[in-house]
Amino acid sequence: MKYFLGRFAWAMFVVWSVVSITFFVESVLPSDPARMVAGAQARPADVDRIRTQLGLDRPVWTRYAIFMRRLVHLAPRANANEDPKTHAGCVSLGVLHFDLGRSYEQRRPVATILGERLPRTVALALCAVFVQLTIGLFSGVIAALRKGRALDTTVVAASLLGVSAPTFVLGLILQFVFGHKLRWLPLDGFGSTFAEHAKSVVLPALTLGIFGAAYYTRLIRDEMIVLMQEDYVRTARAKGAGTFRIVLVHALRNALMPLATVVALDLGALVGGAIVTESLFRWPGLGALSVTALVDRDGPVVMGTVIVTSCAIVLANLIADAAYFTLDPRIRKT
Amino acid sequence: MRSTHASKLTGAALLVLLSGTGCSDPLADPLPHGNASEAAPVRGGTLRLGNFGDIRTLDPAASSDQLGDEAVQLLFSGLVDFDAKGAVFTDLAEKIDRSEDGLAYTFTLRTGVRFHDGDELTADDVKRSVERSLHPDSPNPVGSFFENIAGVIEYTQRKSEHISGVTVDGRYVVTFHLLRSDATFLPLLALHALRPVCKSGGDRYSDSWAPCGTGPFKLLPGGWDRGRSLTLVRHDAYFKPDMPRLDAVTFLYNVNIVTERFKFESGEIDAIRDLTQADTVRFLADPRWKALGAYEPAREIHGESMNTEMAPFDNVEVRRAVAAAIDRDHLRLLRAANVIVSAHPVPPDVPGFNANVPTQTYDYQAALEHMKRAGYPYDPKTGEGGYPHRISYTAYKQGFSEFAAQAVQQDLAKIGIRIDIKIVSFATYLSTTHRRHVSAISPQGWSQDYPDASDFYESLFLSRSINEEDTGNTSFYKNPELDDLLDKAHHELDPQKRQASYDHAEAILRDDAPWAFTHSYRWFDVHQPYVHGLAPHATWVWDIQNTWLDRATAAISRRSVISEVSFGSLFTTREKSDR
Repeated sequence: MKYFLGRFAWAMFVVWSVVSITFFVESVLPSDPARMVAGAQARPADVDRIRTQLGLDRPVWTRYAIFMRRLVHLAPRANANEDPKTHAGCVSLGVLHFDLGRSYEQRRPVATILGERLPRTVALALCAVFVQLTIGLFSGVIAALRKGRALDTTVVAASLLGVSAPTFVLGLILQFVFGHKLRWLPLDGFGSTFAEHAKSVVLPALTLGIFGAAYYTRLIRDEMIVLMQEDYVRTARAKGAGTFRIVLVHALRNALMPLATVVALDLGALVGGAIVTESLFRWPGLGALSVTALVDRDGPVVMGTVIVTSCAIVLANLIADAAYFTLDPRIRKT
Repeated sequence: MRSTHASKLTGAALLVLLSGTGCSDPLADPLPHGNASEAAPVRGGTLRLGNFGDIRTLDPAASSDQLGDEAVQLLFSGLVDFDAKGAVFTDLAEKIDRSEDGLAYTFTLRTGVRFHDGDELTADDVKRSVERSLHPDSPNPVGSFFENIAGVIEYTQRKSEHISGVTVDGRYVVTFHLLRSDATFLPLLALHALRPVCKSGGDRYSDSWAPCGTGPFKLLPGGWDRGRSLTLVRHDAYFKPDMPRLDAVTFLYNVNIVTERFKFESGEIDAIRDLTQADTVRFLADPRWKALGAYEPAREIHGESMNTEMAPFDNVEVRRAVAAAIDRDHLRLLRAANVIVSAHPVPPDVPGFNANVPTQTYDYQAALEHMKRAGYPYDPKTGEGGYPHRISYTAYKQGFSEFAAQAVQQDLAKIGIRIDIKIVSFATYLSTTHRRHVSAISPQGWSQDYPDASDFYESLFLSRSINEEDTGNTSFYKNPELDDLLDKAHHELDPQKRQASYDHAEAILRDDAPWAFTHSYRWFDVHQPYVHGLAPHATWVWDIQNTWLDRATAAISRRSVISEVSFGSLFTTREKSDR
């Protein structure tokens, strides 16, 4: 318990550091969010007025103090004489309120925008990890069992292809073949019904999944080749255990140890948004949002996506720790 | 050994896969149309358009981007509007009476014009909408355009509750009083900013307001899925009889540019504007498609802005040398399908452009001579001489800007001006090149805010447009003679006298060369054969109001069905069509 509390405190510190550093970096960039809101050709008087409206005419430390005060604050008391609009854009967690501010560009609460986008990104991330795991585990084990043979060479070559192909190339090829030529799947988008969502997620999930699966394949293959030489595997074989049982019960369980860390980190990174894939397939998630926000210098949205991403990665690390705890009895004992 | 083998396999596989994608993929056949005749437009259908970018707002008081303007134009009608050629015509106003001194414009509204919520448009709505838009709390990016309306400055400084220069003179009569006569008043009024909004829009701007106006289309709840799509449906009570003809218009946003072309070919979208350079050439080279395409009017100018306050461009001879050294045809060849050489300060399709006024031209020997006069003689044979210091040149991260920077770099090196290209993001580019004493030379462009020469001259070359930050006049060029000419043209109501002033201004700019004017840019649009009346518009991109559709539904659905020979078509050079 003490171990996890320590990890949690460290995680909070990491998130605070990332958020603070991002805030100051974002603030000192040599570009003007008010200009981006007003448009490239707006006159200085109009840009000035918009800058004041957005509160960007205040010193950076004042803005940081306001941002942090709003970020986490207490919910208003029932009898408090406070304008309900003040907390309209907040996310509640018991007595705690989280306010990420309002988007400069969309002029809506960032929490609302993230609330729309996050579930879609999580759905895509889970599907992508599912593809990665399914292909990676299957092909990795097969390659390990057929080490040095044609099948192994083919799997290794295919994984090299997957690792080498950038997602935008892979995505474009999948889109061209399955969306444009065969018309089996939508070219892009998200759809309106569950069935349409399910169809729409296939290509982006495959794009991310194939890319990741190639790495998993190599990881599992190499682990399995080593593990299959271990004494306990030889013993199991001597006892008459079948290949299926040896692989599944003895070797693969141990091969999952390093994979758990990678999967958790991948999931955390994917929740932060698969920028290229989401943009290519017009998947309305955090990746596409963060790109637009960065280009438009939409500070509150940038901060919002950074907070979500850092929380996701930190959470993924905690999950990886927990997975280690479960999979490896030696860690439990220490 | 194995890895080498695997790498070869990888390379071969990638090559095979890539050969099947867009690079060699032939364009599909245009989809067939029905049997309607041009004389009898068909009513109904949804026009679907794709866009690479996204929109931020649908409120006319806050709209600042061209994409948003496309939709705002359909939702909100104005007292006056621009026709497809950019000329102002009366829209919600039945007639306009201008006072003899040009200081008052009285608009008599059409009666019976209905907002989307059913209310009738009155003069009170016009005044309320103007005040809503110009209020200091409104994020209006063009508010300062209207400071010539009496009382606006006091209103924006919170010294008055209302704008004294907008008076309601009857249920359907509203008058705008100006401080000075103004040739740009009507074009400015035709922009979206002051268009009437429903009473639900209130007296003050609000982020949460659902857009509602008197335009030909209206927004229903749920019609705008931010970042993805916008669907507008016909406003049945629209004041023009039998208009619009479409049931609805759907815009898709954030569509990848290649995907957009796939969607267009399959009929998922009906017209396309965002084309890669390669695709533009392919559509132009294909006679089936070329006939269905058209160039939009050229609305922007581009050139090299030279900071007249920084060395060496504080020397007019160096500026003239640069203007003569740039071979504009090199720039045109970078994107030959879209770029046209034009060294005028006004784009070719904007009122005020005069092709007969001589322009800056490429003349290498003259450029060398100007360098000599500037005190920086350069010998092309030895490469010695020229300006002794390297000059930083800031361009932004976007294909054409990067390539053009290199072409300019090579041209200037030939006269002894050596520039170091710095590529930054667009936001950083805007910030650094629009700040005083920071950028000596940078590529600049200007896209029309409204179709009038004043928009270009005044924004870019008036000394009043100079600012420490966010300057419009990026060359920091000051010339009292030019200021007087431009002011005179701004307030001159006689078109011929105005044109004479602008011709004179152009001659001054050509010789003083605060910019080396280089080119203009035109978009190429293509539509499916069943789309009628969708012509490029001088201001609002498309003329959607007059568009109608005549789809041959059976043929379209046939293309949409998965064919048993689809696998075979993956690697064929051209699918034979039975259509």
